[in-house]
Amino acid sequence: MMTDATPLQNQFAELLRWEKQKRLEQIFLCATAVALAAAVLLSPLHGFLPLRGLRWLVPVILTLGLAPGFFYHRRWRAVDATRTFVELDRKLALAERAVTAWELAGRSDRSAAAQLVFQQTEPHLRGLDPRRLFPRRWGWPCYAVAPLLLFWFALLWFDFDQSFSQQSSPVQSLAQQLREFARDFQEKAKTDGLRQSLQVGQELEKLAQKNLADKANEERLKKDLAGVKQKLDAASKSGPQNQSIAGAESEQSLRDLKAELEAARDMLNLPDAAKVPSPQQWLERLASMPQLRNQLDREPQGGKGLGQQELQSLLERLDRQVADALDRRALIDAQQFLEQMMNQGQGKQSNDAAQMAGRGEQDEPGDGVREKNHSNLPGKEPGRNDDSLRSLPAFRADTRTHVEGQLGEGESSSLVFKGKPTPGKSELAPQEVVANYRRQAEQELNSEKVPAALKETVRKYFLSLEESNR
Amino acid sequence: MESLADIEQRIDSARRTYAEVKAEIARVIVGHEELIEQVFVALVCGGHCLLEGVPGLGKTLMVRSLGEILSLSFSRIQFTPDLMPADITGTNMLTDDPSGRKLFEFQRGPVFAHVVLADEINRATPKTQSALLEAMQEQGVTVGGKLHRLENPFMVLATQNPIEMEGTYPLPEAQVDRFFFKLILQYPSHAELTRIADLTTAVPAAPLREILDADGILQLRQWVREVPLADVVKDYAVRLILSSHAQAEKNSGESLARRYVMYGSSPRGLQSVILAAKARALFAGRPNVSFDDIRVMLLPSLRHRLILNLEADADGISSDKILNDLTTRVPEVA
Repeated sequence: MMTDATPLQNQFAELLRWEKQKRLEQIFLCATAVALAAAVLLSPLHGFLPLRGLRWLVPVILTLGLAPGFFYHRRWRAVDATRTFVELDRKLALAERAVTAWELAGRSDRSAAAQLVFQQTEPHLRGLDPRRLFPRRWGWPCYAVAPLLLFWFALLWFDFDQSFSQQSSPVQSLAQQLREFARDFQEKAKTDGLRQSLQVGQELEKLAQKNLADKANEERLKKDLAGVKQKLDAASKSGPQNQSIAGAESEQSLRDLKAELEAARDMLNLPDAAKVPSPQQWLERLASMPQLRNQLDREPQGGKGLGQQELQSLLERLDRQVADALDRRALIDAQQFLEQMMNQGQGKQSNDAAQMAGRGEQDEPGDGVREKNHSNLPGKEPGRNDDSLRSLPAFRADTRTHVEGQLGEGESSSLVFKGKPTPGKSELAPQEVVANYRRQAEQELNSEKVPAALKETVRKYFLSLEESNR
Repeated sequence: MESLADIEQRIDSARRTYAEVKAEIARVIVGHEELIEQVFVALVCGGHCLLEGVPGLGKTLMVRSLGEILSLSFSRIQFTPDLMPADITGTNMLTDDPSGRKLFEFQRGPVFAHVVLADEINRATPKTQSALLEAMQEQGVTVGGKLHRLENPFMVLATQNPIEMEGTYPLPEAQVDRFFFKLILQYPSHAELTRIADLTTAVPAAPLREILDADGILQLRQWVREVPLADVVKDYAVRLILSSHAQAEKNSGESLARRYVMYGSSPRGLQSVILAAKARALFAGRPNVSFDDIRVMLLPSLRHRLILNLEADADGISSDKILNDLTTRVPEVA
């Protein structure tokens, strides 16, 4: 009687298939884990990739690159099959019958002794489920893959790799600076209503974004900047040079004038304005504002004899001129910034200078090229009285602080209105005074003199003043 | 060609025979089950055993009992320093034939038996020892230019006393290597001693019955060699033998063998291990050899084949310890 070895061989084949499948899975997991670990370690070098989007493909590329090595190193060998059957013998306590039977079957041994080995082995393997007998074993690669994947994904999602890249890539740093400047510039232009500056800011931001996305080299960025600068030069030359405001050369005086113009328009639009019969009285009120008075003094007869309509048209004209002047100054700032960026690359000092240019200039005596040094940092300009700057209490950033406005208590800054009060009774309503203060404060808030954490506090203070006046 | 049923019957027969031999010897020998198994294994493998143990442990009794059970001729040679080779092999004697002519007739020595007990073999001179060892190896003796074949099966069970060294001639390594097994008799336990007392001081038991004859043993020898051996198991045995050398491959790590062995096992050691493992599998009723068979047979097969250095002697390291260390270090699958 001969024992048919076919069922036994089928069982062996099934067992080997399962073991090979497990091996493939383990190799793939191992390669993936190593590739992810390598991707995390290599993330600071993402700046060298030709395209930004490629960083998402780094683990895939690494896996594909490493996998052949892993598959070769841990390829299935004859000894692995032997190990499988030795393990099978151990688990089923077959005293090496299975491995002997496998070898005898492999040799096509049909001797009686071989038949007996087959016969004694086959019942033990009948109905055997290799998946249950040899379940998958999850090693370290399996446990490492998920955390590594999450970590790598977080790195890329939150652009931590980019911060590394920017540290290592000066070109990216330059583009980043340009983007920051462009955003600040746009915000300032929006606040001041500077149409042309806003357009330039938008254009600069687009340029910076494009360079960041394309990972353009330094030469290309500078070339682009040169193009923008040329446009700015042309715009500033063709601009309305004759619209400069006489007597208001500095930016601060222009801003003061702008604030006064707004206050004057508010006064003209006040509900009780109709009760004021005489334009002369309007003129007197407007003359209480120093910058506006200067402008009125330049009008024929000091503006006397102007009707309310004429007065309003005068204010509108002045407003346009102020806006144009501020726009032109902002464009000059931008020009200077771009020029410095193009000359950049020599070190951090010039970098700092470029950043200072982006902040805008305060109390510039003229439109000429400004010399960069510590003496003209905001608040340190020559001739500026530091005592006039109120020192603010030390507030911690991001700390919510609310200061209740209380009239007559605590220190307060003052703005001198040289109106001629009617004896016994003020001609200025308290609301107008508070509105003036509030506008001036808002101007300050829009500038960068007030720390961001305190802006809300200052705003609430003036709101509370208005409420208490009512 | 043999059928599957024949093989099954053969294995069953071998298993039963072994069980009967063990049971019969157990009537007169207390304990030493492992030793009895190993002696029987050596017999069916065609090997010789070197028994080492202090006097009075039943070595001679065991060998004699084995001879009785197996229905084999048995002779005992007490080795002494003045024993001559001819006293073992036999010699040509001058005799008269019926016609009155003088002629030399070969008088067979005690070596012409199936089972020969060479008691205290290390007391004889090397010359006498080598006469016996040559007979063991060649399965015959040459006297007067004529070869005289020994009995088949032929087995020598030599004993030596490990504690008495004075006036002895230790066996040379080359001759020790010819022994299939070296077996060490341990002192009996309390329970075994009690049983020995009962057995030997009461009315003698009935004589042992014959279980196996010479033909049966020769048949078993044939069967043993036909037991299949998987390559992976054979490879394990080979790696164990190689690891017993001081120049072993790195896979044995910092094994005791690397430190204490001067010369490792000879290829005879490998033959001995594999044959013994096959016999053990057959007596266990298995059609194949397992790793366990190899491990169990490693000690009796190799312990006398390792030549240890002086450091081992100084550190009290025995061959058994080194071999046990190897079995834990060498993996079953390379």
